[in-house]
Amino acid sequence: MTKTVGHAPDRASAAPSPASAPASQRAQLAGLRRHGGLALGIAIALPLAAGLVLVGQAYLLSRVLGDAISGGRPLVDLAPDIAAFAALLLLRMTLVFLGDCAAAKACERIKRRLRDALTGRLIDKQSEWVHARTSGALAGAIVDQVEALDGYFSRFLPATIQAGVLPLIFAAAVLPFDGVVCLLFLLTVPMIPLFMALVGWGAQAASDAQAEKLSRLSGLFADRLRGLQTLMLFGCMDAEAEAIRTATDELRRRTLRVLRIAFLSSAVLEFFAALGVAGVALYVGLTFLDMVDARFTNLSLQAGLFCLLMAPEVYQPLRQLAAHYHDRAQAKGALAEIALQFEEIPPAVVRGAASVALTSFARCPQPLGFTARGLSLQTPDGQTTLLLPTDLIIPARRHVALLGASGVGKSTLLNALARLRPFEGSLQLGEDRLEEIPEADLRRKLAIVSQRSRLFHGTIADNICLGCRDADDAMVRRAADIACVTAFSDRLLAGLETPVGENGLGLSGGEAQRVALARLYLTNPSVIFLDEPTAHLDPDTEARVLDGILAFAAGRTLVVATHALAIADRMDTVLTFRDARLVTARRPALHVQDHAA
Amino acid sequence: MKTLLSFHPLFARHRGGFLTALLLSLLTLTAGIVLLGLSGWFLTAAFLTTAAMSFNLFGPSAAVRGLSLLRILSRYGEKLSGHDTTLRVLADIRNWLFLRVGPSAAQSHHALRRGDTVSRLTADVDTLDSIFIVAAGPLATGIVVAFGMSAVLMVLLPAAGLVYAVAMASALLRVPALLSTFTRRTGASIVCLSADLRIAAFDLIDGHADLIAFSSTDAMRARSDAIAAKLAAARERLACIAAIATSAITFLAGATIITVLAFGLQALEAQALSGPLLVGLLLATLGSFEATAAVVRQVAKFGNAVTAAERLRALADLPAPVTDPQNPVPLGLGASLVLENITYGHDAARPVLRSLNLAVEAGSRIAIHGPSGGGKSTLASLLLRLRDPDAGRICVGGVDLRDVSQNALHRRVALLEQDAPVFIGTIRDNLRIALHDADDAACWAALAKARLESTVRAMPMGLATPLSEGGLTLSAGQARRLCLARTLLSGAGILVLDEPTSGLDRATELAFLNDLGEATAGRTVILITHAALPSGVVDRVLHLRDGRLDDPCSSIPATA
Repeated sequence: MTKTVGHAPDRASAAPSPASAPASQRAQLAGLRRHGGLALGIAIALPLAAGLVLVGQAYLLSRVLGDAISGGRPLVDLAPDIAAFAALLLLRMTLVFLGDCAAAKACERIKRRLRDALTGRLIDKQSEWVHARTSGALAGAIVDQVEALDGYFSRFLPATIQAGVLPLIFAAAVLPFDGVVCLLFLLTVPMIPLFMALVGWGAQAASDAQAEKLSRLSGLFADRLRGLQTLMLFGCMDAEAEAIRTATDELRRRTLRVLRIAFLSSAVLEFFAALGVAGVALYVGLTFLDMVDARFTNLSLQAGLFCLLMAPEVYQPLRQLAAHYHDRAQAKGALAEIALQFEEIPPAVVRGAASVALTSFARCPQPLGFTARGLSLQTPDGQTTLLLPTDLIIPARRHVALLGASGVGKSTLLNALARLRPFEGSLQLGEDRLEEIPEADLRRKLAIVSQRSRLFHGTIADNICLGCRDADDAMVRRAADIACVTAFSDRLLAGLETPVGENGLGLSGGEAQRVALARLYLTNPSVIFLDEPTAHLDPDTEARVLDGILAFAAGRTLVVATHALAIADRMDTVLTFRDARLVTARRPALHVQDHAA
Repeated sequence: MKTLLSFHPLFARHRGGFLTALLLSLLTLTAGIVLLGLSGWFLTAAFLTTAAMSFNLFGPSAAVRGLSLLRILSRYGEKLSGHDTTLRVLADIRNWLFLRVGPSAAQSHHALRRGDTVSRLTADVDTLDSIFIVAAGPLATGIVVAFGMSAVLMVLLPAAGLVYAVAMASALLRVPALLSTFTRRTGASIVCLSADLRIAAFDLIDGHADLIAFSSTDAMRARSDAIAAKLAAARERLACIAAIATSAITFLAGATIITVLAFGLQALEAQALSGPLLVGLLLATLGSFEATAAVVRQVAKFGNAVTAAERLRALADLPAPVTDPQNPVPLGLGASLVLENITYGHDAARPVLRSLNLAVEAGSRIAIHGPSGGGKSTLASLLLRLRDPDAGRICVGGVDLRDVSQNALHRRVALLEQDAPVFIGTIRDNLRIALHDADDAACWAALAKARLESTVRAMPMGLATPLSEGGLTLSAGQARRLCLARTLLSGAGILVLDEPTSGLDRATELAFLNDLGEATAGRTVILITHAALPSGVVDRVLHLRDGRLDDPCSSIPATA
């Protein structure tokens, strides 16, 4: 093995449901189409109208040429026809222009709806679900894969309708001039979709593979960029660059496979189109030379030219369809990839149903305790039991330290109590069953500051405001003081207005943790969960941060997962996590009972 | 534009491929024009001929069939070679960027947003493809075709030829130029908004638990949707500007046809031009405008490409905080470390480290305590030469760090960062980052030293256990120990451990500290920690205070 970090883990670990079948994808695309509204209708109708205008243009042009060459009419006589030709040209130009604009409007609307639905889906998922996935691939689904639907709605869809209608209209337009040419058109046109369907199968498979590769590449980039410094310090840059080259090269090969099939299908079409055009030219030519006699009357030059001018136009909509065929394959591949990353396309957006508004309840700052019955926890893969079925009562206003060796499941327990991950058994917050409390209500009553808090792109103050959007500067300042954020931010030139980046780059681990803690002080919860609030802090700072926490937590229920004995000393009760059991260690003891006992 | 051209060397390597695509597309276009012209001429001539037998039917009809086939084949080849070459170039650009960007991004103080960087490396690079397939190719072939067609018209219909030349020049040069001017800003905002959207998604994914806990999800969703709305509006604007350009080209084509028709009919009346030739010319003119359609479609994306190029250039040109010396000297033998009069500060007026001195003999272990934010991690980054001190010098094995190559230095000194990452891959992959040919025995030994062996042994797949991004399938303490094991596995003689036991419970911490001597036997260790140290863990304990190291109880081991 070369010096690379290896391949992204298989999606098997994420255990997604099988990608939607092609049939349901078609239904999904149809569902999304509804969001296009009137604009999409216009985008489809106007090109059809433009097609009709084209017939008029061809008719006028052939008449002018016929009259001039075979009839010998002077230029002045033909001027009205030429003027009409120019007018039609302007009309068609306007129709095409409006159609293009409408198409853009429709498909931007569709993409925006889908993006919002995906964002909403992400929010509704549990954190554990989100974190089990590759962030680059999820973000890629929202940004790139949704973008890949563009061609389907703006080009492929209008092209499909045109291809179904225009050749028939054109063939009918030729009928008054020559039946044989009309018949020739009607015979060759249906052959084309048949061949394309054959070619299309391969294109779909190749396109799916390409979408998956693109997802992987985004995931790989996001992961490696996160640890760029580490890779550099261990001298892995060249090897990683090579790994990325391999991944990129694989993407190129897959993309090319899609394109090759797409190009092949358009070549097939071109072949038929050329055959049709050459056939018409030959037939008309031979008729002129009297070598073929399939008509009762003589064919005029105008009729011959009209047939010739219409011949490429009959095949044009189909050629366009073939050119946009890979848009469809791409859209389907993208949908499949979105479905894979998000487990499904949010049904509301493909059904067009309105989303349910969250009910909000009045603020209730009354003290609340926790009651667990038969609570048990497992690792996400279900391999290891972290907590055997246990009963536990945490009375309201009690301050509890949760101790235990690393990896024993302290964070998992906190997350389960905060309804951020699944659990078995029953949990009650106050009088209510945890799973029945409306989301907004629960989050008001219960605050949790996790071990790996995220700092969002914005200033330190922005990050603190996460807890309360309408906090004023003084409130933010006070929260920052209590969390000892000002202890370091006052040394920065811009103070609390200092921008911090994604992942809190630029702040040390302890500093980022304190910013996350300051968020808490702008909220008014009944229950507080803190996960390692003082990691990375020196003893002095730790003590001050702890003072702030305890002052804020007075009258509230508090559970702190920690290794620091300094914290445990200042809590009412200590709960120790050992061998998948909880042991209460100090008076006043909590009611703990595991079912095995 | 200049930025765009600076990517020229990366394109030049694939000159052959581009040339092939160009020639094939020229062939396609020409065949199409000749085909149309020939059919028009053939039909009209056939109509006018009186003696059917003397008319050469087979020459033209064979030519029509041949040209059709030629056009199909050359178009297929053109598309394939054009796309293949472009994709190759894009792969080159990505690779080049990663190598180029890596060091400066890794060391930069600027908080480079990861979402933004990912956007640059994936989407922005893809956007560059519009430069060739898209704008340059059709433009070049269009110009060649326009010249040929103008020449033909000049000979047969001089007046119309002039109009044609002007119209074609406008369609190929003026309209695209205007289009690119008008779409420049819109294109730029599309590129930036896409990156913003990705950053918003990353914020949402990485900060999911925080957002839910603080019920800020609605605000976050609204933020994403606001970006998506702006992006939609920008794309719509771009599409409309492109539609205007398409209309302009349609107009030019129509006006040219009418002109050729009018002048042609005049010439026909004057018997200066035959009927068949008139029809042939007219249809050929019609066909030649096919060259302009592709140009418009693609030039609309030009604004995006220019912005993408600028963003990539900006990324590539980030100043590297440190550079290798011209003639690196080999690193001196031994793992001793000397810091003389080191002064360093992000803000020169208030340095974090002031005239700091430290000497560590090879094979000895020291601990550095100090208040949070006191410059301990900064000191660690200086030891790895992630940045250079403002004053003073640092020597490893007696040689100044600034005189040796960074690669050599990194092989000698290894760092366990405070926020060391776990990568997507297996546990084995993550360990082997430090030592690429480490065998399983070495991996297990390193895990044992970091007190993680039993945990991994308990996993059904052992070393082959896959880890998800950011190591989130491990607990924070386990992830920390994995990174520690990785550092211990490296062959470096000097280890700088920044808070190696954060996230560990006290019992595990103590066990680790007690093992430290054995685990790092023979190596120099700089241990940055808040933990109370049992006796015998290190030879000396120093305190970093006010930018200086003082030695409160020199040579007396600290007790817990």
